[in-house]
Amino acid sequence: MKRVNRVLIMAEMHGRDLLRRHVALGLLMVLPASFYLSSVGTGRDAVSTGGVAMAFAVGGATLFSALSSVDVDQRLILGGYRPIELLLGRIAFLAPVAIVIAGAFTALMAGISHPSSPGVLLLGVTFVGLQSVPFGIAIASIVPRELEGTLVLIGVVGIQLAVQPDSTVAKALPFYGARRLIEESLVGHGPLAGPILQIALYGTALLIIARIFIGSRLAVTSHQPT
Amino acid sequence: MVTQVSKRYGQTPILDRVDLTVHAGEIVALTGENGAGKTTLMRICAGLTRADSGRVTVSESIGYCPQSPSLFELLNADEHIVMFGRGIGLSRTAALARGNELLRELDFAAERNTVTTQMSGGTRQKLNLALALMADPGILLLDEPYQGFDRGTYVNFWDHCQTWAGQGKAIVVVTHMLAELDRVHRVVELSPHPLRPKVHR
Repeated sequence: MKRVNRVLIMAEMHGRDLLRRHVALGLLMVLPASFYLSSVGTGRDAVSTGGVAMAFAVGGATLFSALSSVDVDQRLILGGYRPIELLLGRIAFLAPVAIVIAGAFTALMAGISHPSSPGVLLLGVTFVGLQSVPFGIAIASIVPRELEGTLVLIGVVGIQLAVQPDSTVAKALPFYGARRLIEESLVGHGPLAGPILQIALYGTALLIIARIFIGSRLAVTSHQPT
Repeated sequence: MVTQVSKRYGQTPILDRVDLTVHAGEIVALTGENGAGKTTLMRICAGLTRADSGRVTVSESIGYCPQSPSLFELLNADEHIVMFGRGIGLSRTAALARGNELLRELDFAAERNTVTTQMSGGTRQKLNLALALMADPGILLLDEPYQGFDRGTYVNFWDHCQTWAGQGKAIVVVTHMLAELDRVHRVVELSPHPLRPKVHR
């Protein structure tokens, strides 16, 4: 119970901190919407581009949240928290945020582009948002600073957007499954299980990476008692 | 107790076989030039940095007040208190009671809803210090904790140190304020070359 309480309090505090960043909150919506709206005249690719571009927003917010609080995280561990509680606390706040943004953004795209299956579109965009959370945390746990992290984020998501959706490179990237779902929503047929399995496996792998690296980055030595 | 602790950053030696023992009820001032390794030694003692060699042993829990406050930018004092209190198993109410008592002792003056980026440097540092004291630790590691304090608060800080020492806490204060060294029990100077502490009195 104590563990759950500590996870929940961290989620609450991350929430309070982010909800006071009004400009950042606005940009979380505006960034993917601008990708979508700027390419909406080019056809249905706009939906795929906009959906995957949500990874810039949610992944970026996650990355910032994790990297800007390394010092306080370490101090919290010294004060009784465990690294896994800090990790879960961050996810417990950011995942619902990703779902809310995905819902609003899907409504926007569905209203303009009229996909064959709005439900599958919602699923795909939501998975982009959810996958962005462990993705951002995994980057933050490996790279030392915001600049490097941002460049990695831009690189990975940018390549995912630039390459052919079914190319080998695309399949190796974290948003392949979610992008496939988004594209399935436009034609209204095709299997969903494969993409969802890919998302689940990739998300799990990202969380494991995050857990391993956060453990070493935030490690606090327990001294021997005299 | 610090025994033969050494630390390098890359090729640069910072600490070389440092020994330091601090007893319960004792206030030790840790002094030295910039780059002498004071903060590194404090972080090693707190467990936040790993020593290359040597060991640290402790008999009590540690409270660490870093030189620059490690706080969330857009959380206020109460939110920090609740968050740190939960780490030591306190309920929201108990954490607020404990934290606010500490803030009152330190003459914390900010409004309850003022977030840390809107606090003055000294006010932020008082919150930083109060968070280090939340768990009522037996060992206090204070890395220049009075930065930004006004004169009255600064004098009070040393009074508080003596009160805490009277309660049996072992206290290490990193300081450059040589005028206050008569208020501590022992002064340990870390020298950059060679990196060995010299006890002055």
